[in-house]
Amino acid sequence: MAWREALRLSRVAFLELSFQAIYAIRQGNILPPGDASKLSARARSRVLQSKALVAGLLGFLTIGAALILHDASLVAVRLLPNPIPVPVFQTGVLTALLSLDVAFLWWTGLQVLPTFLSAGVLPVLEPLPIDEPTLRQTAVILYLRLFDLPVLTLLVLTPLLVGFALGPLAGVAILPGVAVAVVFALVLALITGRFFVRRVQGSRSGGGRALLRWTYLILWVVPAFGLFGFVTLAPAFFGALTTLSANGPSALFDLLSGSFPFSLASLPALLSSGANALPVGGGGFVVLLGASVGYLGLAVAAALWMGPAIRAIGLTPPGVPVPADPARVTLHTTGRVYAVLVKDLRMASRTPGYAFLILLPILDAGALGLLTYVSGPGPGAGTSLALGAVTTAALLGAFFGPAFFAIEVVAYSYGRTLPLPERSLVLGKVALIGAIYLVAGGLVLALADLRVDQPLVFLGFVVAELPAVLAAALFELGMLLRRARTRGLPLVNLYTGAWVAVLVSIPGLFIASAPLVAFETLRNYPQPVALGAMALVALGSLSVIAPFVLRRRSS
Amino acid sequence: MIPLRLEELSVVYGPRKAVDRLTLEVGPGEIYGLLGSNGAGKSSTIKSIVGLVRPAGGTVRVFGYDVQKDALAAKERIGYVPETSMLYESLTPREFLEFVAGVRRLDPGRAAERARDLVTAFRLTDEFEEPISSLSNGTRQKVLLVAALLHQPPLLVLDEPLNHLDPRSLRLMKDLLAQYVRNGTRGVLFSTHAMEVAEQLCHRVGILDHGVLRGEGSLASLRERGAEGDATLEEIFLHLTQEDAGVRAALASLERT
Repeated sequence: MAWREALRLSRVAFLELSFQAIYAIRQGNILPPGDASKLSARARSRVLQSKALVAGLLGFLTIGAALILHDASLVAVRLLPNPIPVPVFQTGVLTALLSLDVAFLWWTGLQVLPTFLSAGVLPVLEPLPIDEPTLRQTAVILYLRLFDLPVLTLLVLTPLLVGFALGPLAGVAILPGVAVAVVFALVLALITGRFFVRRVQGSRSGGGRALLRWTYLILWVVPAFGLFGFVTLAPAFFGALTTLSANGPSALFDLLSGSFPFSLASLPALLSSGANALPVGGGGFVVLLGASVGYLGLAVAAALWMGPAIRAIGLTPPGVPVPADPARVTLHTTGRVYAVLVKDLRMASRTPGYAFLILLPILDAGALGLLTYVSGPGPGAGTSLALGAVTTAALLGAFFGPAFFAIEVVAYSYGRTLPLPERSLVLGKVALIGAIYLVAGGLVLALADLRVDQPLVFLGFVVAELPAVLAAALFELGMLLRRARTRGLPLVNLYTGAWVAVLVSIPGLFIASAPLVAFETLRNYPQPVALGAMALVALGSLSVIAPFVLRRRSS
Repeated sequence: MIPLRLEELSVVYGPRKAVDRLTLEVGPGEIYGLLGSNGAGKSSTIKSIVGLVRPAGGTVRVFGYDVQKDALAAKERIGYVPETSMLYESLTPREFLEFVAGVRRLDPGRAAERARDLVTAFRLTDEFEEPISSLSNGTRQKVLLVAALLHQPPLLVLDEPLNHLDPRSLRLMKDLLAQYVRNGTRGVLFSTHAMEVAEQLCHRVGILDHGVLRGEGSLASLRERGAEGDATLEEIFLHLTQEDAGVRAALASLERT
């Protein structure tokens, strides 16, 4: 009975959640102009579109994995540098798929959670005469509805496609793995989200605390970085699998058999190829099956824990003010552009969804630099490495425009009442994007240069590309601001306005990649010529776009 | 210079007319109270003054600057307190005020001194470094008031500014507003439901009903239009908006149930 009531309540509450996610009224915005009766439907449709986008990406990953599994014998034996037994290869592919599913869903959860909390739908229900189990179940349904399409895609598509590739029995056998991956991802999002709501969002100001917040936020990036990391480390993973399986049963393989998601990912291979499919002895087999049952049990316990946890996260008690000395009340006033930049950094330091975008390219650059350092490339590798580093940083940079505009959603209405020219607003954000690009570039430069002694090559690439990164950011921000002015909408937040972000990013990507294409085209010419052409294209795009976006306009 | 002049201002939301050809003026040294029931058009009027809503017709001028054509010049002269807490929740009051002071290009020394005085006056010192998301409604309101007063604007536009304030802050705010316009050049426009506050504080009031100005003037001049010679502002309000009969009917209906 309580579930039926919870379902009824969650229908209304989810509509409010969608409404707040799009229009952010509780975050200080006013309703956009136009027919108010259509706003709810528009909000519902945009949330659905964003969920469809995430589901589409997960579906794309699953289809990719299924195609590889379908031709597993060809890939495992003929295409890999060293042949690998087909069932081990199949298990490896499914391990990769489940890991990516966990990382992607976890990351999505972290992006959605701040919206879930700021919408304040659960506190509205608390004072109503609703019994405890119904409230808990409503909270669970609301949380699950944030993920419904992506989760359904995984639960339906994965068994179907694995069944298509490896046979119906294998399709059924992957279902426990997918279900556990989904529960783990949702619980991880909740645990990490709760931690950050308490330790990061509620943190007081001050230099030391800001440093601590950014340290916590680096941890926040881990799931997203896991997506990149897995792609980078996939060859190493399959290499290790090849070596391990060639050695026959071993304690190390038994250890791997007990790990998540390997144990659950091995079930389809075991069912379709028999108990001898994997190089595990009797003990290893017990570990594998025991671990699989253990993970299933853990997932059930975690799912039961989610109900009270979701409720509790929405009711975090307010901080207790610390008595302060009035003489210490002071302000550090700056110019407009710098004020915007500092405000965005401060907000990002307490909003993981935004902090992630600042940290991702920097961490990515750090990882690339470290990999370069560890792998110790030979002389002459500087150009390729520098081009790779700059390409990654620049293309990630093209996604910053929408992301940093998204910060304006918060208190957008108040910001519009201040005498802040649009050009100052745009320049503040572009300055931040440029700074992130330079920090990322500098990090690769510093780490890679320890091995590849070509600092000028790296510096040349970073500087040549910089104008294009700024041009892409200017273009995207200009487009978004124009749309905000005409539509009066708080347009983008990272999950609910995904379409707008993606659409605006596409021309930004073209602008950021044009100089890189110019370099590639002239790569056979002497390097100064190719690099000069790259710089010219970058400067050209900046000189065309900047006057267009920054022309004086009253706001 | 006239701090605020609205001429034939109209605000429309879809098919609904929220403000209908409203004309009013806030003179130098004047506190003008905008009164009206819920949905009367007070907030829509104020939002079109501060640039949040684009009027369907008419003009809004702040010290002669058209809010649509010279938005920045107009906004530089306004201190605004919104009806609902429209704050950057993840900033602390200090960080928020630094942003506002930066955007308003205030002299750092003077901004710091002014902030210290206002924060001390409103007893915000203990919450100065706490994230705004953790503050009570009353404390948030104080942060908005400090932000509005930080640059000593010649025009204050306050939408229900006294909501959530404790008695001490309420008294402080009332005295501060009276003192604020004493130099004879500044103006204050504020909307309120609290008739006794309007009665104590305002030099003139305007009574809005369904987007139309039903009456305007000092309390004395409105009394002349009221039913009785010693009517309170509340009685005048109900009389002009023709709500007095409605209130009696509603009470009678409630009594029956």
